[in-house]
Amino acid sequence: MTETQPASAAKALLLLPVLVLLGLFFVSVFQLFSNGFADADGWSLRYFRQILNRSDYQVIFARTILSSLTVALLSVALSYPIALLLWRLERWRNTLLIMVLVPWLVSLVVRTYGWLVLLGPKGVINGMLAWTGIIEQPLALMFNDLGIVIGLTHVLIPFAVISILSSLLAIESNLEEASGVLGASRFQTFRRIVLPLSLPGAFTALIVIFLASIGAIVTPIVLGGMSHQFVGSQIYQEVMYTFNLNKAAAWSICLLAISFLSLLLLKAIERRLIGTLE
Amino acid sequence: MTANPKLSTWAGILLLISLPAPILIIIGASFSDTSYIQFPPEGLSLRWYRDALFDPRWPRAFAISVGIAAVTAVIVTIVNFMAAYYTQRHAPKLATWLELAIFSPLFFPHAAMGVAMVALVAQFGLIGTAPGIVLAHLIVTLPFSYRPIHIALRSLDPDLVRAANVMGASEWRALKDIVIPMCRSGILTSLLFAGIISFDEATVTMFLIGPNISTLPVQIFSFVQDSATPVLAAISTISVLITFLAVVILDRVAGLAFFVRHDGA
Repeated sequence: MTETQPASAAKALLLLPVLVLLGLFFVSVFQLFSNGFADADGWSLRYFRQILNRSDYQVIFARTILSSLTVALLSVALSYPIALLLWRLERWRNTLLIMVLVPWLVSLVVRTYGWLVLLGPKGVINGMLAWTGIIEQPLALMFNDLGIVIGLTHVLIPFAVISILSSLLAIESNLEEASGVLGASRFQTFRRIVLPLSLPGAFTALIVIFLASIGAIVTPIVLGGMSHQFVGSQIYQEVMYTFNLNKAAAWSICLLAISFLSLLLLKAIERRLIGTLE
Repeated sequence: MTANPKLSTWAGILLLISLPAPILIIIGASFSDTSYIQFPPEGLSLRWYRDALFDPRWPRAFAISVGIAAVTAVIVTIVNFMAAYYTQRHAPKLATWLELAIFSPLFFPHAAMGVAMVALVAQFGLIGTAPGIVLAHLIVTLPFSYRPIHIALRSLDPDLVRAANVMGASEWRALKDIVIPMCRSGILTSLLFAGIISFDEATVTMFLIGPNISTLPVQIFSFVQDSATPVLAAISTISVLITFLAVVILDRVAGLAFFVRHDGA
């Protein structure tokens, strides 16, 4: 539908509701910033100074960024085989897609709870390992960084599969065929054709998953506990227990700054990498 | 990993099976007859479902979640349809800017989004109320609901609308009899997609609940922190079932191809 007609002022009212919602969103962002650069007495950089200087906060920052980077890279790497499988099995694609979509859409609270049942000291995995006699003491699979990374990776993999599969489906199938006919091995075809053409989807997944991971609250709290905090766990505490919205806003602004920087960085890497592969 | 196609296929199958695994564990545990979570369960029973049903907090949270999801889905779909219809038909130059604004919440880490929404909702005095949660859900679901509607409107044949106009149909008539019916699958996708996201949202919602109101996922989260009773497994199973049904309905009425469609939108 590209036919356009001259607009009348009355019809422009159709835009009003969306503009109201977007306006409210921008108001909320404005408030976030004015909260973050203030304390109970007025304008202040106190909380930013605290966040940057306190060594326990630096540990939380480092954990959030490093774990999220691990989660993003792991999710993309583990998603490739699934995406390739769905891409090749055209007949089963729709059914298998449900197996990806349902875990993606089920509440992350439920999925995290599932991992709690699996990873806990008396959980399914430790139970099975003890029963088979492989271990005597339960393994520490949660209340540490390992638990957080396992949980977040599993929560976020479905998005990476969807993103990579979208890119794969945009590849013309005869391209792969042509490469085979011209004598390329399957690995050569993958490396020269399938991989480069699917990279945009992989990079979208990398960015989106990194952002989702640094902003996570539920999974780090449930699987990391209060001894292994994420920035999200800190924000949760500030809002729910100490009612310090200013400090929570300062943490949030730090998250936004990381998101913005990583977005720029990844875009630059993506441009370079796609340049060299082509 | 992919050097050997057989290896990659097997890895793909194993990983694919692992995706629903924690959910299946929960479903299995919900039928256990022991008071602690154990998998595989020793005996089967429905007592946790009965417990959930007779504890008034769970049916209440369930009803609130369904209500909020329904209201959010309907409003966000109407808002996005109006906006997408107007920009495509009357102001295509505006589309790029509008989309940039609509997709901007996607680049907000969830925790930051939660804090921003607390500030906004508190300003209206709506913390701990359903309208406050709906407001936040409208902003969170806006980008997800826009895409299917935008795609549906764009793939509509402009000749059909032109023909209706030539035959003397007013714009409203063409909209009602041609545009909306032909965009049906896009509209349904938006409704179901936004509805599922709202029903399962927890990270932003947990900042907005109050003593009289909580949603299902947020209540599960606050219980998980305290105790891991199998009642939670029963509740979670019900919430999984709702999401599963919504995906199956989506598959039947509109197809799932939308999710893996590559068009840069």
